[in-house]
Amino acid sequence: MRVRAATKEKTAKQAKPKTALAPPWNVVVHDDPVTLMSYVTKVFVQVFGYAEVKAKQLMMEVHKTGRSVVWTGAREQAEMYAQKLQAHHLLTTLEVVDG
Amino acid sequence: MWVARVDEGYVFGDLAPSSVETLKGIPMLIESEDPRVRGRLLPDTCDDEADAAHWREHAVPELERLFLSRAQLVRRDLAGLRKMSKSEHQFLLLPDAHVNAWLAALNAARLALFELNDLKAADMEPENFGALQGKQQEALMRIHLLAEIQSVLLGDFEVESCGPFGDFVPE
Repeated sequence: MRVRAATKEKTAKQAKPKTALAPPWNVVVHDDPVTLMSYVTKVFVQVFGYAEVKAKQLMMEVHKTGRSVVWTGAREQAEMYAQKLQAHHLLTTLEVVDG
Repeated sequence: MWVARVDEGYVFGDLAPSSVETLKGIPMLIESEDPRVRGRLLPDTCDDEADAAHWREHAVPELERLFLSRAQLVRRDLAGLRKMSKSEHQFLLLPDAHVNAWLAALNAARLALFELNDLKAADMEPENFGALQGKQQEALMRIHLLAEIQSVLLGDFEVESCGPFGDFVPE
């Protein structure tokens, strides 16, 4: 009986789920002096399915501040979005969200 | 240059030889191996070296294939350039199904011209045009021409509708 109880305890410890989650990633679009603003807006609508108003807000943030975090989430999906944005030649980088 | 809407897409007409030359240069610019162009069209995406290597291994080859396929599509459409009936200028049909590919190709070509001619953001301002070298001025005019075509395809201008392409007679 004692042995069996000890085994049960060990099994329970091994099955304890991991609590450390992978950090989210930011998809960042940077300003460039060549790409048309209306083109940037269209790409945001096309790639993310954002409403025109949100796409324009993000485009203006890129234009005025030099960059905008256009999406945040799991790494794999962030990479997929970054690839789609680069396919349209928007200057895009990925960064791990701190903290 | 003028533009008309036909059932099949957009017709760009009265294209002067310099405009035709600029359009024919698009595929070559997309395919350029110049490090300045590659650096802009396929930029580093992550700061961390391991992540950057992962990106180069997985994302870049797919992007390269996409760019090459776009360059081929643009080349095929450009093979359809035809002379106008009353001048040496030409006209070109850009089919609706190719508009997204053309938008990206035009953007790539504009970025490549910018990089290859060592232009800076301030050089895009009209008041600085006179201070540029001749080659840079020419590049900037090409960049603006391609931007005009992009703007039309983005729907920034109202374009006259002219029915089927087969019935359309450019003069």
